Amino acid sequence: MGEVILTMKGIDKSFPGVHALDHVDLEVRKGEVHALMGENGAGKSTLMKVLTGIYKKDSGTITYEGKEVEFHNTREAQDAGVVIVHQELNMLGHLTVAQNIFIGREFKKGIRIDDKKMNEEARKLFDRMHIDIDPTETMSHLTVGKQQMCEIAKAISHEAKVIIFDEPSAALTEAEIEELFKIIRDLRDQGLGIVYISHRMDEIKVITDRVTVMRDGAYVGTLITKDCTKDDIINMMVGRVIYEDPKTKNMTPPGAPVVLKVEHLNAGKMVQDVSFELHKGEVLGFSGLMGAGRTETMRALFGADPIDSGDIYINGEKVNIKSPQDAVKHGIGYLSEDRKRFGIVVQKTVAENTTMADLDEFSNGPFINKKKENEIAQKFVDSLATKTPGVDQLVVNLSGGNQQKVVIAKWLTRNCDILIFDEPTRGIDVGAKNEIYKLMNQLAAEGKAIIMVSSEMTEILRMSDRIVVMCEGKKTGELDISEATQENIMNMATREIS
Amino acid sequence: MKKKILAVLLGGCMVAGLLAGCGGGDDAATTGDDAAATEEGGESSGGGDYHFEVVVKSFQSTYWQAAIQGIDAAVEELGVTVNTTGPNAESDIADQVNMLNNAISAAPDGIALAANDQSAVLDSLQDALDAEIPVVCFDTGVPDAPEGSVIATIATDNESAGAVAAENMYPVIKDAIANADGQVRIGEVNQDATSANISGRGMGFINKMKELIEADGKTVAVIGNQFYVDQVENNGDEGSADVIIEVAVPAQTTVELSATEASNIMNKEDTIAIFGSNQVTAEGVLTANQNLSVLAATPDEGIVGVGFDAGATLKAAVADGTLIGAVTQAPVDQGNLAIHALYDYCEGNEVSDIATDSYWYDAENMEEADIAPNLYD
Amino acid sequence: MANKSNTAGTNRSFIDRMGGQKFIVLILVIVMFIFFCAMSPGFRKYTTVVSILDYSYYIALMAIGVTFPLLTAGVDLSIGTGLICYSLIGGLLVRQHGWPVAAGMLVTVLLGIAFGIINGCLVALMDLPPFLATLCTCMITRGFGAMVVGGYGIPWPAAAQEGGWFRSIFKIQMGGQNIPIGFLWIILLVIVMSFVLNHTKMGRYTRAIGSNKEATRLSGVNVKFYHIMAYVICGLFAGLAAIAYSAIFATVQPGSGAGFELDAIGGAIVGGVSMSGAVGSITGTLVGVFVICLLKTGLPFIGLTANWQQIITGLVLIAAVLFDILKRKREAGK
Repeated sequence: MGEVILTMKGIDKSFPGVHALDHVDLEVRKGEVHALMGENGAGKSTLMKVLTGIYKKDSGTITYEGKEVEFHNTREAQDAGVVIVHQELNMLGHLTVAQNIFIGREFKKGIRIDDKKMNEEARKLFDRMHIDIDPTETMSHLTVGKQQMCEIAKAISHEAKVIIFDEPSAALTEAEIEELFKIIRDLRDQGLGIVYISHRMDEIKVITDRVTVMRDGAYVGTLITKDCTKDDIINMMVGRVIYEDPKTKNMTPPGAPVVLKVEHLNAGKMVQDVSFELHKGEVLGFSGLMGAGRTETMRALFGADPIDSGDIYINGEKVNIKSPQDAVKHGIGYLSEDRKRFGIVVQKTVAENTTMADLDEFSNGPFINKKKENEIAQKFVDSLATKTPGVDQLVVNLSGGNQQKVVIAKWLTRNCDILIFDEPTRGIDVGAKNEIYKLMNQLAAEGKAIIMVSSEMTEILRMSDRIVVMCEGKKTGELDISEATQENIMNMATREIS
Repeated sequence: MKKKILAVLLGGCMVAGLLAGCGGGDDAATTGDDAAATEEGGESSGGGDYHFEVVVKSFQSTYWQAAIQGIDAAVEELGVTVNTTGPNAESDIADQVNMLNNAISAAPDGIALAANDQSAVLDSLQDALDAEIPVVCFDTGVPDAPEGSVIATIATDNESAGAVAAENMYPVIKDAIANADGQVRIGEVNQDATSANISGRGMGFINKMKELIEADGKTVAVIGNQFYVDQVENNGDEGSADVIIEVAVPAQTTVELSATEASNIMNKEDTIAIFGSNQVTAEGVLTANQNLSVLAATPDEGIVGVGFDAGATLKAAVADGTLIGAVTQAPVDQGNLAIHALYDYCEGNEVSDIATDSYWYDAENMEEADIAPNLYD
Repeated sequence: MANKSNTAGTNRSFIDRMGGQKFIVLILVIVMFIFFCAMSPGFRKYTTVVSILDYSYYIALMAIGVTFPLLTAGVDLSIGTGLICYSLIGGLLVRQHGWPVAAGMLVTVLLGIAFGIINGCLVALMDLPPFLATLCTCMITRGFGAMVVGGYGIPWPAAAQEGGWFRSIFKIQMGGQNIPIGFLWIILLVIVMSFVLNHTKMGRYTRAIGSNKEATRLSGVNVKFYHIMAYVICGLFAGLAAIAYSAIFATVQPGSGAGFELDAIGGAIVGGVSMSGAVGSITGTLVGVFVICLLKTGLPFIGLTANWQQIITGLVLIAAVLFDILKRKREAGK
């Protein structure tokens, strides 16, 4: 480890209603791989966005190569040698590898682009990285792993001195990860400072020299990786006081029948051999880190994505779900994590949204029975305490919490007995959150079976009767609420999978 | 912020542009106001302040610009006011019905109508009748109009217009037909086969030509577009007939498609004459000839071409002899007579249907006083 | 995005297919030509070939231009009515105001560029969907052109008249035969624009925008400028097409032109340009244009009536678009 190349000190950043970064510190030295860790929403990405000029900091200082700097956009950061390799690849699939690497700063001969020189330069970069990629290959023909290598090559070609890897291994195979690590070590040995963001505890131990942990937008501490244990890091990540009382015991009535049984469900890469049971009147929490495959499991269960293999039983009967229509027919309602895209039609009224999944019920032939529609919508507005001036209000005018209630009303109208809440309180303010929680408990008490996917540990602990934990597409644990703690959930969520 | 200002600016410019556009359109369309203001009461009329609404088939055609000239002239002569509207294209039937309804709502003293579709306007004509607004149809009649709604129809007799073309073409090709060794071919390129005007014109040409040829003891077979072929009585056999009349209709009425159809016919060895039955198809014949160079004054030298309507290109082709001649309708007269008929009716005079003439014109008579005004550019 | 969805690894055969489609379409053109020649004696003539070329120039020019918006995953629907509009106004200046023909031609092209800039700004700066933005300018150009000329058709000077020299840009008389030299200009422009598309920043970024606009922006490319430029090039070529149209046809009629753009876009698509952007070439576009032109010219010669011509042209377009979709599905690796 060499001298300090980058210091971020007292970085503070607020968004409306959120204190995203609370005086965060980070120090990166030449020739080190520095892990940046924290739960979802801990502020890692925000910190990196402040560094590379995507966000403007409210206060604090950034010192780079001994000088205080402030980058105004990614271009300025790049030119200075601070480059980010995104988790989501920013590739131009139709262009060649070399064209991608040098996009925006092509070599030219007169007005003609000098593709030959670009190919040569790209080849030199790959040689330096000791990897074999043909610069003239079309980008979309490469595997994701190779594409990632090209992103790294692009970063290096900017004469980078600091490279930030944002969850680089998320989509890679074991062999590709090995290759990636080799490249990272090479770069480190060449004296670059590397920031490595990842959730994978095992990788952290293998590749990084130091770890900085963040929690809830605040700096927790920095450790030398080889001197600490995995538990040390987890404790730092979750060491938060839980404001809400967690549920202490399973509230499901004893002997409640199994309404949904999933066996060995496989769907793509993100759902591998997932099995679980759901009882009448139960809230089953699905916990895990971002990209653990929870949403994908729910989408497969709901028929939104194709199932590769596995069986689904509803009330003991085997069912074949091929489309959301099938799922709805079997009484499954899905409240998407992305309400605006999948849950509601914001430019329609409360009443129209309420009856959307069950319009046949409210129609006489081709005509919609407006009166009946308004009645049922009003009933749910009352029973869910939705705050709206009337059922003819456009949903776009409602707050997030009340929009969520409209979606719930939609599925209740359809008499769904199994309700899947995917991140039910995302983007909803605290007061409304409590109402949604109350509502979910009330629904469970009425005998609905509820699956709740949540990335918020407090939410999981407060609402669930039982908890399923997933990691990288696999179920890594199942806990009764009485035995669940933040630590053991986090342990399962970051479990190494051989 | 910058973006917003830009957006507003551009939006403003666009709206301003649109307003200017509409304003311009109105100027062009409201032909009566100024003229009426400068007019001094009018010598022959006691109540010269009649207001008429005119709905033409389309504004985008020189033919209708000529008709509007006639209307303007009548406005000056009679001291009435007129508001002229019309859709973008002759195929915009719904737009025209809309305009007609607006015209009726304006409660004018009369309406002059050139209907794009004879059945689409029937309901509106009933409304006009109920509102006691007299309607004069010009250019195109509405045969099924409610009793009493249409007080007069002023239109070209399209059958006879087509016949005029045949009568003037036949003398030129008569000898060639009589002396031919084998079959000879006469081509006809028509516009849309479903418009009554043009199909009447096309059939007028076919029937007259057939009649003339058969009168000289030869046999005729009509082939090509089924719509026309089905209307021919006693059609001859294609294999044995002395003369083939081949009817082509392009997919759309554009010059290049008309030209393609024309070159197909003009490429055939036995073709001696061709007739383009409206302005666009006639221009198609001329466009095809740019590459083929086969049009000539007599069948011995090439193919004899005859056009219909006018326009600068056609006029030039007739003047330099590329076409032996063409038939023109009387759009100026029709526009003029339509306003006159409305005026007479309002004055309590008797009005009746008028079949306006169609004229044969060639290099010789183009400049003559009764022809030249109808040869619009 | 295609780049994310492909995890299947290297797939060389896709490149073969790309070259392949152009090749297949070229074969199709030849087969169609031979077929029409065999079926119709009238078609076999030299003059017919000249006619096909005559009627192809303005479509080919429009198609070369519209390839650029198509490659950005956009479209320009205003080129057809725009062509007529520019030609009407340029012709009006020559006919009624005594401008030299060269000046009228210049105005025609400048108008094309101006409307290209308007389209580009609407799409790139104000984020209007290209379909909508250019549909609006389509209506505007149609009305604007007719308004300026007051509804009268405009005949540009005939070959024999003063100023008629410009018609010989596309066709000269030699030894009593018409020589369609316009084709040489088209070939030249295809070579130039292929160079622009494949070897200059302009072309590279046009494709990049169609591939992944956000990634291109993040790479520090002035995306707005190059996005506008794609429409400016399209407008420029619509202006050139207007000159070709004026030179081939005697009269330009106001209110016409709607539908021309579909021939051009259809040609580009048949030639392998993808409606979803980034994929396609100028040479492919040219070959595709000839499929459309051969259909338009050839079908009447074999005696198929108007309705059949439209049905067959529609079917060919469906086939080309299906080909594009299948290609993309296979590329997605599933």
